[in-house]
Amino acid sequence: MPEILIQYEAEILSSIGETFIMVGVSILAAILLGLPVGTFLFLLRKGQVLENRFAFSALNLLVNIIRSFPFLLLVVFLIPFTRFVIGTAIGTAAATVPLAIIAIAHYSRLVEQALLDVPKGVMEAAISMGASVKEIIVKFLYVEARSGLVLGLTTSIISFISYSTIMGVVGGGGIGDFAIRYGYQQFKTDLMIYMIIIMVILVQLIQFTGTTVSRLIDKR
Amino acid sequence: MTVQVFKAIIISIVITLHLRERGFFLIKLHDVSKSFGRFQAIKSVSLTIDKGEIHGIIGASGAGKSTLLRLMNLLEIPDDGEVEINGQNLTNLSSKDLRQERKSIGMIFQHFNLVANKTVYENVAVSLQLASFPRKERKSRVMTCLEFVGLETFCGKYPAQLSGGEKQRVAIARALANSPRVLLCDEPTSSLDPNTTAEILGVLEDVNKKLGVTIVIVSHEMEVIKGICNRVTVLANGEIYDTVLIEPSRIQMMDNSPRYFVEQLTEGRVIADA
Repeated sequence: MPEILIQYEAEILSSIGETFIMVGVSILAAILLGLPVGTFLFLLRKGQVLENRFAFSALNLLVNIIRSFPFLLLVVFLIPFTRFVIGTAIGTAAATVPLAIIAIAHYSRLVEQALLDVPKGVMEAAISMGASVKEIIVKFLYVEARSGLVLGLTTSIISFISYSTIMGVVGGGGIGDFAIRYGYQQFKTDLMIYMIIIMVILVQLIQFTGTTVSRLIDKR
Repeated sequence: MTVQVFKAIIISIVITLHLRERGFFLIKLHDVSKSFGRFQAIKSVSLTIDKGEIHGIIGASGAGKSTLLRLMNLLEIPDDGEVEINGQNLTNLSSKDLRQERKSIGMIFQHFNLVANKTVYENVAVSLQLASFPRKERKSRVMTCLEFVGLETFCGKYPAQLSGGEKQRVAIARALANSPRVLLCDEPTSSLDPNTTAEILGVLEDVNKKLGVTIVIVSHEMEVIKGICNRVTVLANGEIYDTVLIEPSRIQMMDNSPRYFVEQLTEGRVIADA
């Protein structure tokens, strides 16, 4: 192993840990909140079971606004909110707040798209069998859209990794921050390149896993 | 003498009226209207469907056939009028009660509408889950339904591995799982070839004869309607043009050989090879 990696082993490991925490929280937020938000974006549309023009427009606008922010600006803009939730605006824990919010907005759009691919006839069959809204979602929509949901999540996770590299500005740490501070600012280009290689490998692994899983569960 | 005849007539009228009041009808549409934007799809239609009949609805494209059928389980909510099934007025039910009623109204579709990510078995089982059918008896019920349509060996297959006719059989099994009183069929054979059409009509006939399920079938194919229905409503521009009683005549199975196709195309005339 190159000497420079051994020299910075502790810092590298802790920055990888920080990245995992930030991305992990983003994934949790995406699944626990982004999935329901995306489901509502779909169900509130015209012609769907919960059709409601006003609620759809409001939710749609909210997601669009969050997604319009350049991410760095969103982080800064959310500082008062982060301080209110976490108690501080600095550090890895604080960094998870803006990441979770962008994660929800990001994944909800991909969920909406995946659900739009479910044939309208399947929804109709579910309704004709007397399924409730909850049953339509769980027993029909998610079953039929599952490979799209997994692919969407894969895309989202890779974006979260990218977003997490910005979190150095609020002391969030992570691999990206380490590469900038040690590799770029201290002119250790080789260190920066090693960090980029780690991230490339990470993204490859995630994409490969996501693609494989979505293919295996797709019986269409 | 005349008095007796008169009496008999009166009695038979009373009995008929009584029967009609007491569930002689299964489905009753009363002055039902439905518009989509400015387009009036169904214009104040009244129609009754008797218990045990196979009722056809035929008409040109855009005549309102499918809309009329979809009004029967309130997949389309009528703008006006009432829909009654088995003495239950669906139009003023709460959404919860409506869902309950829909469980005893089966429906099949032109494009089958199976869940592609569920196996044949799961597709049938889901309708039992929705109806909270006793868990222990689910398996045997699913198997009974699949046997009825002749697909008991297809349990673990996915819809993508089936032919069109097989998919429609699964859809029929799914619709039958909760022992419905009526089966609504929306162009059930319109994406199938003539032989498969005949097979599916055979299955539907069995559903009607052996299980006593009333069938309402919408089709634009005259052959299909003639092949299976006892009574046919002809629809034109959202209104009933006529309702006729017919004697169903089974569709002739077609020879599937390429030679037959050539003969049909050339009407038996010998022509030079192109």
